[in-house]
Amino acid sequence: MPASSISLTEQMLRRRPVIGAPVAYGASDHLKRSIGTFELIMFGVGSTIGTGIFFVMSLAVPEAGPGVIISFIIAGVAAGLAALCYAELASAVPVSGSSYSYAYTTLGEAVAMGVAACLLLEYGVATAAVSVGWSGYLNKLLNNLFGFQIPRALSAAPWDPDPGYLNVPAIILIGMCALLLIRGASESARVNAIMVMIKLSVLAMFVIIAFTAFDTNHLKNFAPFGVAGIGSAAGTIFFSYIGLDAVSTAGDEVKDPQTTMPRALIAALLIVTGFYVLVALAALGTQPWQEFATQQDAGLATVLDNVTHGKWASTILAAGAVISIFSVTLVTMYGMTRILFAMGRDGLLPSRFAAVNARTMTPVNNTVMVGIVAAILAGFVPLDKLADMVSIGTLTAFIIVAVGVIILRAREPDLPRVFKVPGYPVTPVLSVLACGYILASLHWYTWIAFSGWVTVALIFYFVWGRHHSALNAKDRR
Amino acid sequence: MTVVAGYRAGKVGLSGLHLAVRLARTLDTSLTVATIVPRPWLTPSLARIDGEYEHWADHLAADSAKEAQRYLYNLASGIEVNYFHRAHRSVSSGLIEAVDELDGEVLVLGSLPSGGRGQVVIGSTADWLLHASPVPVAISPPRYRSYTGRLTRLTCAYSATPESVEVVRRCFQFAERVGAPVRLLTFAVRGKTMYPPEVGMDVEDAIMEAWASQAHEILEGLKTEGVVGEDVVLEVVSGRSWQEVLDKTDWADGEMLAVGSSSRGEIRRVFLGSHSGKIIRNSPVPVMVLPG
Repeated sequence: MPASSISLTEQMLRRRPVIGAPVAYGASDHLKRSIGTFELIMFGVGSTIGTGIFFVMSLAVPEAGPGVIISFIIAGVAAGLAALCYAELASAVPVSGSSYSYAYTTLGEAVAMGVAACLLLEYGVATAAVSVGWSGYLNKLLNNLFGFQIPRALSAAPWDPDPGYLNVPAIILIGMCALLLIRGASESARVNAIMVMIKLSVLAMFVIIAFTAFDTNHLKNFAPFGVAGIGSAAGTIFFSYIGLDAVSTAGDEVKDPQTTMPRALIAALLIVTGFYVLVALAALGTQPWQEFATQQDAGLATVLDNVTHGKWASTILAAGAVISIFSVTLVTMYGMTRILFAMGRDGLLPSRFAAVNARTMTPVNNTVMVGIVAAILAGFVPLDKLADMVSIGTLTAFIIVAVGVIILRAREPDLPRVFKVPGYPVTPVLSVLACGYILASLHWYTWIAFSGWVTVALIFYFVWGRHHSALNAKDRR
Repeated sequence: MTVVAGYRAGKVGLSGLHLAVRLARTLDTSLTVATIVPRPWLTPSLARIDGEYEHWADHLAADSAKEAQRYLYNLASGIEVNYFHRAHRSVSSGLIEAVDELDGEVLVLGSLPSGGRGQVVIGSTADWLLHASPVPVAISPPRYRSYTGRLTRLTCAYSATPESVEVVRRCFQFAERVGAPVRLLTFAVRGKTMYPPEVGMDVEDAIMEAWASQAHEILEGLKTEGVVGEDVVLEVVSGRSWQEVLDKTDWADGEMLAVGSSSRGEIRRVFLGSHSGKIIRNSPVPVMVLPG
């Protein structure tokens, strides 16, 4: 490809025009504006609960002690502010999509590449992380029901505190999801609603049972590691709030978005945060906080075992977790394949990422690749390392979105926006601060891995992407 | 050479005969109405039940021929019509033998009349024949009617896989034989929206768009390679389900859709391509399955 005639800065700042976005094929068939507040809340709750809560306690409590309850609230507030900003950006762009698409149409190509790097990290690592969590619950379920479980060597990563060779169940889960996605399976709104109900019921059951063994003495030493510990735990926990932005991506189909959107976001956030805080409080009341560190696999089920001195409750919980985490894995993996697809279509990745298989009519190349990468991560990297990587990617993407809202308001104040952030400019600024605070308390090794990844992505952009961008053809004309 | 129409009194109705007449006209050949009746047991029974059975089977054959004759009296003017019957333990194998014996060029079957909304419904006989027939099998939608016309156009369903180039070739051979124009059609069926929609609810539309342009490129490639002529019409029809895309397609009066049965080695006689099966069931026009 010949060198483009435009300058590097122009390349980095060029934006994907809205025209040419998918409208021609079937988009017009949409039942426009058909989603109401309740369904939107279901999206939010459905995509959020389940990513982290089933296993995040054993990671976060050792960092903050009982103060982890505050961490849950901090992370929830940051996620809520970010989701509001996300909703405005989404509504300013008349295509529905991920924050990658919004960034590309509003903030330019280089930023879009950065956001894409964050999102790929978020979705890719989240897929791996939840499947590792699934593996723990599967083993717990097998053990409760049949008295055997997959040996440690084949169900833990080699760098786990209690090491094995390979996490086989996690790899199998990812393989199954990849197959389903290749065949074009998808979750309907009804399945989503059922999953939400399963998750909420088992968590409610957990809270009720755990509260019967509540002992305030366990909360006495509330913040053994002080504010720093609470902040660092919020970083780990933030991972369990990803998916809240699903509400914002449904933008163009929502009835009366200006009122529905913030209502649904706030309601979903309150439900999710409420459940998280209750789960955390109930779990903390059952045992000294130091014990959580030893309950890496199937943490909540183990707590129930200790409370009930029997297995029925933990069996129900483990079964609920196995079913619902499966669906979460499917959804996050799907998200990743579709982001890769959009990048391939835009020319920022090789076009094979946008290739659709003739037999299945799905992007098979992507799905296979995502499956392989996620399987490697899930097979070899332990859960705690994964969780922080998801959080850092998500938080960075959220900061870019909040900044984008401010930039767009300044640059194009008259652009029609179906939804505007309430309390502008305070809300986006607060969002940046909240996300920034949590980011600042993440571990140094997370930062190094993250910076490395983003650098690789940007180098790829400078060396390859900017020469192959689909916008080149337009610029030359 | 003749067009063989499978027919049995009261069972598959009229639509198959209509299609058979149209094909016979188009191919300028005769029409043979073949009725396969159950074969009686060869061991005589003391109760003479086998005799009664044989009697019934003979009646069935005669009735079928008579009924078909009545229908075809006006319909098939100018076409040589023959009647053929055979006792065989399986209808589908019987029909294949009939095709062999009569030197049939196409085998025509009617849809079961139970199918609503003008779509092709295949019974177990047809289902088996679609996989096993050595000659093309054409199936009519229920209530298909054709009084005078010939085949006006052959639409070839092209799935853009390497194997389907072969289907295109066979389509063109057939179309050349009957002198009908060919249209190449690729269907793009949109995947369902994933919930919760973490990457937006339109992303499957974008995938469909990519698939459609990919299919266009491949179809253009077929022109450049000379697989199809320069004047052939290429179309991509997209929609949310197989039913929708087939309904949405513009069909000419007297048009027929051709699909390939999937040609993967030994199992080719067992499986129709999964897409072909869906196309057959949802087609509002007659479908012809070209054997691999």
